[in-house]
Amino acid sequence: MLIFSLRRLNLFLFTIILLTLLSFSLSFLFPGNQLVNISGQVNATDEQLAIIGESYNQGGSLISQYFAYLSHILSGDMGLSMSSQTPIFNEILIHLPATIELTLVALIIAMAFGIPLGFIAAIKHRSKVDDTVLTISMLGYSIPVFWLGLLVILIFSIQLGWFPSSGQISLLFEIEHVTGLLLIDIMLSDDPFKWQAFQNALAHLVLPAVVVALAPATIFIRLARTAMMQVLESHYIKAASAKGLSFRQIIYRHAIRNAMVNVIRDVGLQFANLVTLAMVTEVIFSWPGIGRWLIESIYQRDFTAIQGGLLVLSSYIFIVHILTDFIYAGLNPIARGKKYGS
Amino acid sequence: MGVFLSIQEQTTVRTLFALLSFLSLYGCGYDENISLNNKSIVYCSEGVPEGFNPQTVTSGVTIDVTSNQLYNRLITYDKDETTIIPALAKSWHVTKDGKKVTFYLRRDVNFHQTNYFTPTRTLNSDDVIFSFERILNSEHPYYISAGGKFPFFQSVEFGKLINNIERINDYTVRFNLNQADSTILANLASDFAIILSKEYADTLAQYNFHTNIDSSPIGTGPFKLKSYRAGSYIKYVPHESYWGNKSTIEQLIFDITPNSYTRLTKLLAKECDIISYPIAHEKIDQRPDLTLDEKTSFNIGYLGFNTQKPPFNNKVVRKAIAHAINKQAILETVYFSQAENASTIIPKTSWAYDSTIQTPEYSIEQAKKLLAQAGFEGGFEMDLWAMPVQRPYNPDARTMAKLIQADLAKVNIKVNIIRDYEWSKFLGLLAEGRHQSVLLGWSADHPDPDNFFTPLLSCASALTGNNRTFWCNGEFDNILANALLINDIAQRKRYYKEALSILADEMPLIPIAHSKRYQARKKIVKGEILNAFGGIDFTNVSKN
Amino acid sequence: MGREKTYQEEEFPTPLLQLWYNFKQTPVVMIGFGCYLFLIILAIFAPIITPYSSIENHLDHLLLPPSWHENGDVSFLLGTDNLGRDMLSRLMHGASLTFGLSFIVVLISLAIGVIIGSISALTKGVKSSFLNHFLDVILSIPSLLLAIVIVAILGPGLSNTLWAIVMVLIPQFIHITRNAVKEEFSKDYVLASRLDGASSIRILHYSIFPNIIEKLISQATLAQSAAILDIATLGFLGLGAQIPMSEWGAMLANGIEYFYIAPWTVYLPGLAILFAVVATNLVGEGMRHALKQRKES
Repeated sequence: MLIFSLRRLNLFLFTIILLTLLSFSLSFLFPGNQLVNISGQVNATDEQLAIIGESYNQGGSLISQYFAYLSHILSGDMGLSMSSQTPIFNEILIHLPATIELTLVALIIAMAFGIPLGFIAAIKHRSKVDDTVLTISMLGYSIPVFWLGLLVILIFSIQLGWFPSSGQISLLFEIEHVTGLLLIDIMLSDDPFKWQAFQNALAHLVLPAVVVALAPATIFIRLARTAMMQVLESHYIKAASAKGLSFRQIIYRHAIRNAMVNVIRDVGLQFANLVTLAMVTEVIFSWPGIGRWLIESIYQRDFTAIQGGLLVLSSYIFIVHILTDFIYAGLNPIARGKKYGS
Repeated sequence: MGVFLSIQEQTTVRTLFALLSFLSLYGCGYDENISLNNKSIVYCSEGVPEGFNPQTVTSGVTIDVTSNQLYNRLITYDKDETTIIPALAKSWHVTKDGKKVTFYLRRDVNFHQTNYFTPTRTLNSDDVIFSFERILNSEHPYYISAGGKFPFFQSVEFGKLINNIERINDYTVRFNLNQADSTILANLASDFAIILSKEYADTLAQYNFHTNIDSSPIGTGPFKLKSYRAGSYIKYVPHESYWGNKSTIEQLIFDITPNSYTRLTKLLAKECDIISYPIAHEKIDQRPDLTLDEKTSFNIGYLGFNTQKPPFNNKVVRKAIAHAINKQAILETVYFSQAENASTIIPKTSWAYDSTIQTPEYSIEQAKKLLAQAGFEGGFEMDLWAMPVQRPYNPDARTMAKLIQADLAKVNIKVNIIRDYEWSKFLGLLAEGRHQSVLLGWSADHPDPDNFFTPLLSCASALTGNNRTFWCNGEFDNILANALLINDIAQRKRYYKEALSILADEMPLIPIAHSKRYQARKKIVKGEILNAFGGIDFTNVSKN
Repeated sequence: MGREKTYQEEEFPTPLLQLWYNFKQTPVVMIGFGCYLFLIILAIFAPIITPYSSIENHLDHLLLPPSWHENGDVSFLLGTDNLGRDMLSRLMHGASLTFGLSFIVVLISLAIGVIIGSISALTKGVKSSFLNHFLDVILSIPSLLLAIVIVAILGPGLSNTLWAIVMVLIPQFIHITRNAVKEEFSKDYVLASRLDGASSIRILHYSIFPNIIEKLISQATLAQSAAILDIATLGFLGLGAQIPMSEWGAMLANGIEYFYIAPWTVYLPGLAILFAVVATNLVGEGMRHALKQRKES
C-alpha cells in the first residue's frame, strides 16, 4: 500500500506540474499582453505593471517565470479577474463549493441508480428487462444535456411546480459562507429559518443533480452490467453454485461485492465526463458554480479567470480520480501491485 | 431466482417511491411554505448596476436599483408625471427673473443606519450643498473620487447653469443661476439629482475611503442596503426611520438575471415576484396568477453612428443606411408591434413633437443611389454594437442587429455584430468611441423635450462620451441653448422644430422606435412600480 | 450478377467483411445504420434539397407552428422561427453543419491520432512513459472544458470550435492506436514477418492496420457521437457556430427565448441532435457487438 500511495503521489505531482504548465502557457497563448493575462491587472499603469512584472520574474528565463507563477499560485494569488477586478482565488472559493456539492450529489445519484439497474440487467441477461435497461441507457447518454435541462424545468418547475428552476437556494435566506458547501453551512448557521432553508436548498438541488446524473448513470448501468456478467461467468461463482449455495446467496455474498469493485475502478474516469455535464447544467439552472462562472468568463474574455478556473476544475477532477483509485485499491488488493495505466 | 429478483425489484421500487414522496413532501409548493416569503419581494432585474449612486451614471439598470429606493431628491414628480411636488424640500420659490431658486427643507429626514455607518444628525443644508458641490467643483475630493464623471449633469451643462449654491440657514438653500433656464426644476426632480449625506462623506474622508460613497450607499430613501453580491443579488431592508410612508415589506431583493428566458422561467416557476422586461407576453397572459404591467414611457431606440469614424463621417452614407433599413419589420419582429415607429427622437406625446418631419422611406434603390453617390457602390464592412441587455426602447438588440444585418447585406454592406460585452463594460467602451455604429436608446429623465436633445446629441455630451454619435454641430447647439432661455412653449416649439430638421438632414442617428416599458408580476403583489421617466419605485409595493 | 461457382470454394472474407456479416444480423442496428446513412446523404445534399434558404426571412410568417398544428401552414412543414425562417430547411442545413462536420472532425483527428499513436508505439523508454502520463492528464480534463479553453484562445466561431474538438479527440485515438499496435506487435505473426526482414513501417501497413481498423472505427463512432454533442453544446453556449448559422445547438439557443410561446423552436433541434447521436451510437454499438461476436466465434 505504501508503494501504491507513493506512486499515486508521484502521479499527482506530475499532473499538477503539467496542469500549472498548461495554465502558465495559456497566458502566452491568449491574445493581449502576457503579464496582464496572468495578473489580470487591466487598469494598472506602466509603473505598476513593472512592479508586477518583477514579482512574476519577467526579466528571467521562461523557467524562472514559471516558478514565479507557481509560487504566486501556491500563496493563493491567482491574479485578478479582468472583468470584475476581484481576486480569482476569492471567486473560486465562492464558486467551487457549489460545483463540488452538485457533482458529488450527482455522482451518488448516478451510482445509486445506475449500478443496481446494471446488476439487474446482467442477472436477467437477454430478457425484456435487459433490453429495456439497455435502451434507456442508450437514450440517456445520447440526449443533449442542455435540452434535457430545459425539458425538466418545463415539466417539473413550471407545469408541476414541484422544484425550483434556478439557483442554489432562495435569496430570502441569509446563509453565512463558512465552508461554502451550502448544505453544511445551513446546518452550521443559527438562522431561525434553518430547517426551511435546508429544505429549500435540497429542493433546489434535485433537478440539476438529476440532470447531471442521467448520462453517467447510464454508463454505470453498462459498467455494472458487464462487471456482473463477468463475475457470474467466473469459476468461483460456479464453484459456489456447485457447493449448493442458492442463487440469492451467491449474488448477495459474492457477486455484488466483486462486481462493485470493478465498477468503482471506472468511477474516476467517469467523473471528468460528469463535471463536463455539470458545467452546462450550471448554465441552464443558473447554479452559482465554477462551470457557469468559467463560461461567463469566456463571454467577458476574462483570461485570468479562464486560467484559474481550468486549473482548479481539472485539479478537482484529478483529486476525485485519485481518491477513487485509493478506494479501489482498498477494496481490491491485486490492484495495489499494478503499475499505473495497465 | 424469480423470487429473489422480485424482492430485489420490489425493494428498488419501494426505495424509489420513498425517495420521491420524501422529495415531493416539500416539493409541493417549495416556496409558498416559507414564512419569509410573505414579507419579501423578489424583483428579478435584467442587469448589473454600475454602482449605487445615480449621480455618476446614466444606465437605467443603476437608476432602477438606486434612485427611488435608496435616495430622495429635493423635489419629485407627482403621479400624473407632469407636476412637480415636494420631497426633501417641503416648498420652494423661484424669483421672477428665474435666476434664484430657494428650497426650504424638511426637518425630520433621517439617513440610513447600517453596519458601516451610523448617522448622528438629520438632513440639513450642508448635505444638499455637498451633494451638488461634488458635481460642480472639479477640485472637490469627491469629484475626483468619481473620476469627474457625472454624465447626466455634464450633458445638461449643469456647471454652466449654476453660479453657486448658497446656504441661507440650516434648512434653507438657494441655487443662484447664471441665466434663466426653463429646465432647472425638471433637472432637480430627475432621478439623478439625489441627496447624499455629508456626515458620511466626512467620515469616509478620514479613512481615505472616498470611493465608498458611490459603492456603499447611505441615503434618505425608503430602503437601505443590507448586502450585495456583485453580479448576483442585492438585498435591501426598509429604512426604519424613513420620513415618508414606510414600506410594509421586510426585504426587497434584486435577483440579477440578465437572461430574459431565465427571468421568465423564474416568474413562471414562482421564484420571482416581479420581473423586468418580460418576453412572451402571451404566455404571461395565459396564467391566471400573473399580470402584465405596461407604462408608456418617454424614450427612443435608435441606431447611432460614430460620426468620427469613416465611412459614417459622411452624412450621405448615414442617410443611405436609413433608407436601407426596413423599420416596419423591426417593429413587428423585435417590438411585436407594441411600439410606434419613430420618425424623430421626440415621441408623439411630447409637445415638441413635429409631424411634418417624416421617417426616410424604405427603399433599396434610394439607398444604393446614395451609396454610389458617396463612392461606396461596392459596399463596405462595418461593426454594429448591439446592447447586451433589454431596455424598454430596445427589448432585443441582438435580433434587431440580425435584421439590420440582413437588410444591409442587400446593399452590399457586411455587418459584424458585436454583443459579447457585459453591460457596464459595453457602455464604457462606447464612451471611448470604440464602436462604428451602435443600437442603443434613451429613456427621458423628465418630460422636458430638452432631455432628448441635449444629453443625446449636444457637443457637451459628445465630450463626455454620452453622445454616442460624437456628432457636434454648432448651429444645433445654439438652437438648444436659445430654447432653454425662454419659458413660452410655442416659442420653444419653433426652436425644437428647427433642431429636428437639422437632425433629419444630418442623420447622426436613425430613430427606430418609441416603446412601452413592460414588467410582469404575481397578482398578489400590489402597488405601482413603473414610472414614466427613468426608474422604478418600490415605496408603495406590498404583498398580501 | 453473381460469379458462377464451379468449385465448392471455402470463402475467407476479410475481417471487415466478416464484421459486416455479424453487424447486419441485428435489426435495430440496421435501422440505426439506415438513419446514419440518411443523415450522411442529408448532410451532403442539404443545400440542394431544402425547400427554402436557411437564412431567408419570411416576415409575414413569424413563429408559425408546424403544419399539423391548427395554425400551421403546409408550405412550412415544421413551422418557422422568430425571424420567419423555415424550420425544416434550417434543420436540414443543420445536418450538414452539426452532423456532417462532426464526421469530418472525427476523420481528421483519427488520421492525426493514428499517426502519432503508431509512432509512439514504436518508441520506448522515458519519452513513451512521459507521453503516456501526458495523455492520461489530458484525458482526465473534460473534453468540453478543453474545447472551451481552446475556443477562448482562438475566439468563438464554428471553425475554431471544430479545431478545438479535433484537438480534444486526438488523445483518445493516440491512446487506442498505441495500445492496439503494441498488442499486435507482440503477436507471433508480426514476429514472423519481422524475421522475414520486414521494416516496422511495412509491418504496420500490411500486417497491423488491417487488424486494428475495426477497433479504430468503433472508437471513431464513439468519438463522433461525442463530437456531435460537443459541437451542439458549444453552439448552444454561443461559443461555436454564430448567428445566423443553422447549427442545431445554436438554433436551440436562438429558440430558447420563444420556448414558452413557440416550443417547436426548441423541441425540433433537440430532437434532431438526439436522433443523430442515437443513430451514431447504434452503429457503434452494433460494431462493437459484431466485433465481440467475431472474437467469440
